[in-house]
Amino acid sequence: MSTQHENKFTTLEQEALICARCGYCRNCCPVYRVIGWESASPRGKITVAKDLYVKGNKNALSDEFIQRVTQCTLCGACNVVCSTSIDLRELWIELRRRIAEGGKNPKGLQDIRKNILDNKNITTFDNQDRLEWAQDLDDPDVAEPRDGAEVAYFVGCVSSFFPQAAQIPLANAEIFGAAGVDFTTMGGDEWCCGFPLIISGYPDDAREFRRHNVEKIKEMGISTLVASCASCYHIWKYESREQLAGYDLEVLHTTEYLARLIEENRIQLNELDEVITYHDPCDLGRNGGIFDAPRKIINSIPGVRFVELAHHGMDSLCCGGGGNLQSVDPQLAKEITKLRVEEIKETGATIVVSSCQQCEQMLSAAIRETGLPVRVMDISQLILEAME
Amino acid sequence: MKPEIVEEIKHKYGDRANDSPFERNLYTRDLAPVPALMVDPLFKTMPDLVVRPANEEEVAEILRIAWKENIPVTPRAGASTTYFDSIPVKGGIVMDLNLLRGVVGLNEERMTVTVQAGTTWSELDDYLKRRGLTEKSYPSSAPVATIGGWFCMMGYGIGSLKYGSLLSQVKSAQVVLATGDTIAVTPDTDPPLSWFAGSEGTLGIVTWLELEVRKLNPMKHFLLKMDSVPEMAQVLKEVKDAPVIPYNLHFTDPACVQGMHALGLIPDEVGEGCLLQVDYEGAEQELDQAEDIIRRIVDQHPKVKMMPGEMADLEWEERFKALRLKRGGPSVLGGEVWLPIKEVSGYLADIAAMSSKYGIRFMSYGHVVTPEYVTVMTMFYANEVNTINYMFSLGLTKKIQDVGFRYGGHPYGIGLWNSPYITRIYSRKELAELRERKKRLDPRGILNPGKVYRYPLLFHPFTFGIGANVMAGLIRAAGRGGRR
Ligand SMILES: Cc1cc2nc3c(=O)[nH]c(=O)nc-3n(C[C@H](O)[C@H](O)[C@H](O)COP(=O)(O)OP(=O)(O)OC[C@H]3O[C@@H](n4cnc5c(N)ncnc54)[C@H](O)[C@@H]3O)c2cc1C
Ligand code: SF4
Ligand code: SF4
Repeated sequence: MSTQHENKFTTLEQEALICARCGYCRNCCPVYRVIGWESASPRGKITVAKDLYVKGNKNALSDEFIQRVTQCTLCGACNVVCSTSIDLRELWIELRRRIAEGGKNPKGLQDIRKNILDNKNITTFDNQDRLEWAQDLDDPDVAEPRDGAEVAYFVGCVSSFFPQAAQIPLANAEIFGAAGVDFTTMGGDEWCCGFPLIISGYPDDAREFRRHNVEKIKEMGISTLVASCASCYHIWKYESREQLAGYDLEVLHTTEYLARLIEENRIQLNELDEVITYHDPCDLGRNGGIFDAPRKIINSIPGVRFVELAHHGMDSLCCGGGGNLQSVDPQLAKEITKLRVEEIKETGATIVVSSCQQCEQMLSAAIRETGLPVRVMDISQLILEAME
Repeated sequence: MKPEIVEEIKHKYGDRANDSPFERNLYTRDLAPVPALMVDPLFKTMPDLVVRPANEEEVAEILRIAWKENIPVTPRAGASTTYFDSIPVKGGIVMDLNLLRGVVGLNEERMTVTVQAGTTWSELDDYLKRRGLTEKSYPSSAPVATIGGWFCMMGYGIGSLKYGSLLSQVKSAQVVLATGDTIAVTPDTDPPLSWFAGSEGTLGIVTWLELEVRKLNPMKHFLLKMDSVPEMAQVLKEVKDAPVIPYNLHFTDPACVQGMHALGLIPDEVGEGCLLQVDYEGAEQELDQAEDIIRRIVDQHPKVKMMPGEMADLEWEERFKALRLKRGGPSVLGGEVWLPIKEVSGYLADIAAMSSKYGIRFMSYGHVVTPEYVTVMTMFYANEVNTINYMFSLGLTKKIQDVGFRYGGHPYGIGLWNSPYITRIYSRKELAELRERKKRLDPRGILNPGKVYRYPLLFHPFTFGIGANVMAGLIRAAGRGGRR
């Protein structure tokens, strides 16, 4: 009969001792489900961490262990079931930090860091090209940075630079335009939110990126920030409190903001004859607490029949794309996506909607491979389709 | 184990067989926090090989090799047991059964489901709930415990009071014997189904089971609070004997309530005392009748307080979270006792006396699992980082079992660590019968050797008793049992 349900993280040493080795965290873990060995389960990893940091067995920091620590999507499913309420997601991130600190990080994660430090974004592109996607708008200038706008749209690295994801900012910009939203972006002054740095084990570097972005937002006099990337949203909402102290910034995910526009009748939605299911991105749903807004949007489209996936909401199954897993073990990430695609298939949906460009990329690739007649869409794309 | 056999199995099973020390090391422990100092000199818990068969044929093939070569095989599923039940003590092969997963078939006419042994109870529940059905009973470790694992243990838990033991709900099962031969078993075959229930993987490997299911009914939950243990025991008896049988009946003693307060796990308004959780399932009419019963009992006991409905609902929702208390540890030691219900008051009084004697808070909670018996878990905090003090604390676990024994109880589950108590659990005749079964089905003793039937030499009840008493005495003398 808990009065408080939050998971807790004190120190790695203490939490490793608290772990009861009950194994509740095994079957919900997508990585364990694919790999199947105890060492790939949260229980197994925390056992080795205890050996290493509590019992002082230095040999336990083996290459095999480091591989297992990086083979994790940081989806947080283990948090939900943990019988001793350990904030396991926090624990995995701390483990990565210690591994990075000891100079033992895999090359894939070191490369991510180098790119971000060099270019201020996760790609090798020049950060000044952040608004390339806007060239496809009727008036590309609407996205140019502007002080004092009603809303700043934080586009995120993937949507800014990856052509496959550019449809998301384009859809959002078109919807904002149709709803008469006075919006802007940070243009080339938008730096990576720092999320990939934190989860690669470099939280100190990430702090500098948050500081920069917050300073810029303050300079622009922004009071509402909207992010379409679940991870960027997570950083702004939960990890930037220190930098934002004393500044009143409303942080919203696009699902929340678009649901608001619909509620205020600023967008008109026409009938769509589709069966739609929704994939909860881990950082937005389980780790960000946003479940209702996307469902409200889908259900507000006339003619749509909404079906839930077998695992949804707090129990949602990761798409495989989280935790920088693709950089260290793309094959494993793919195998995890397949588990999710099986669930999508079972629903009989014609469209699977999500609200994270990473989830959409993973699902699109896997669905294409299986030849399943299902379209993968971002929530903004779905709204745009219903508006046309 | 001969290297060429390891290689042969690795060759056959590819990445589903593993002999790397890194991986094998993770199969050397279960929940029991026993220091290496006490384990490694006595037992070979490190398997030579871990293999994950994907189907019954593979289980049989591995057993045939092991039988031929006399290799110990330890079945392991969720590994959520605490007595080294699924941990090898003589090396050999650990057979990880988690790939035997999923529902084979549902028979809605017979109201049974056939399910592979490595499926967890939560997974089965997900499957059944989507079809308006559910299990008759399940362990309070459902997120990890497998169907086969619970069947091979004692099989009592949530729902047992109303629907009986798991054995009574199983219609048939498939078992691969030590020789690699596969047999179908029912209550009427020779050997019968009952031989395998509670056999802890020592007689055969269960690959699937057909078990009864029930309609998913609405539920009603009640949480009662009383000041004293005798009053709680009296109310518990009245609830249990009333015309509507609870689905689940669970008590928490005053020390455990204190422990929960210390961790902020219960609202302040609950205050001090005992808690009794009563959960009913059934048709609306049955639930209304149950509510009348509870209200009448509460009226007849002016000191018993009915807690708000939301608290009772939450207590039910968190029925799998008994280990939350471990946050107060970091380590927890204890023992689970199968105890006559009529002795609950006496048992808890003696445990409370032990708390004063050793300056340690012993916390107890229990599930009523049959009309006559309750399983009581009594636990206390320790700190495994302080190895010497911790080893002394381990002596206290025997004290818990001794109190249970005084009141007609015995350990629930055997494995390795409860083997010194086998003569408390079984009569001489029963033990002889069990050993006969083992001799008949596994004469070479390859299946989960070192468990259930005999205690290791060092665990002779007499020497074990002296050792445990000395350790407990040292804790008392040192007066540093971690008084809280
Ligand atoms: C929080 C918590 C609550 C618990 N609540 C209960 C409860 O309410 N009731 C209860 O009885 N226990 C309970 N337990 C103990 C344990 O979880 C159960 O006994 C559980 O059913 C064991 O299942 P498992 O899959 O983890 O089996 P394991 O621990 O892996 O194995 C148990 C034994 O069965 C053998 N075995 C496993 N699968 C097979 C198979 N297919 N064929 C042959 N042998 C096999 C193993 O060799 C071992 O001896 C609880 C434990 C915890 C941590
Ligand atoms: S965060 Fe997700 S992938 Fe990582 S251990 Fe937990 S459940 Fe597994
Ligand atoms: S669920 Fe929590 S306590 Fe249990 S093994 Fe996993 S991490 Fe440890």
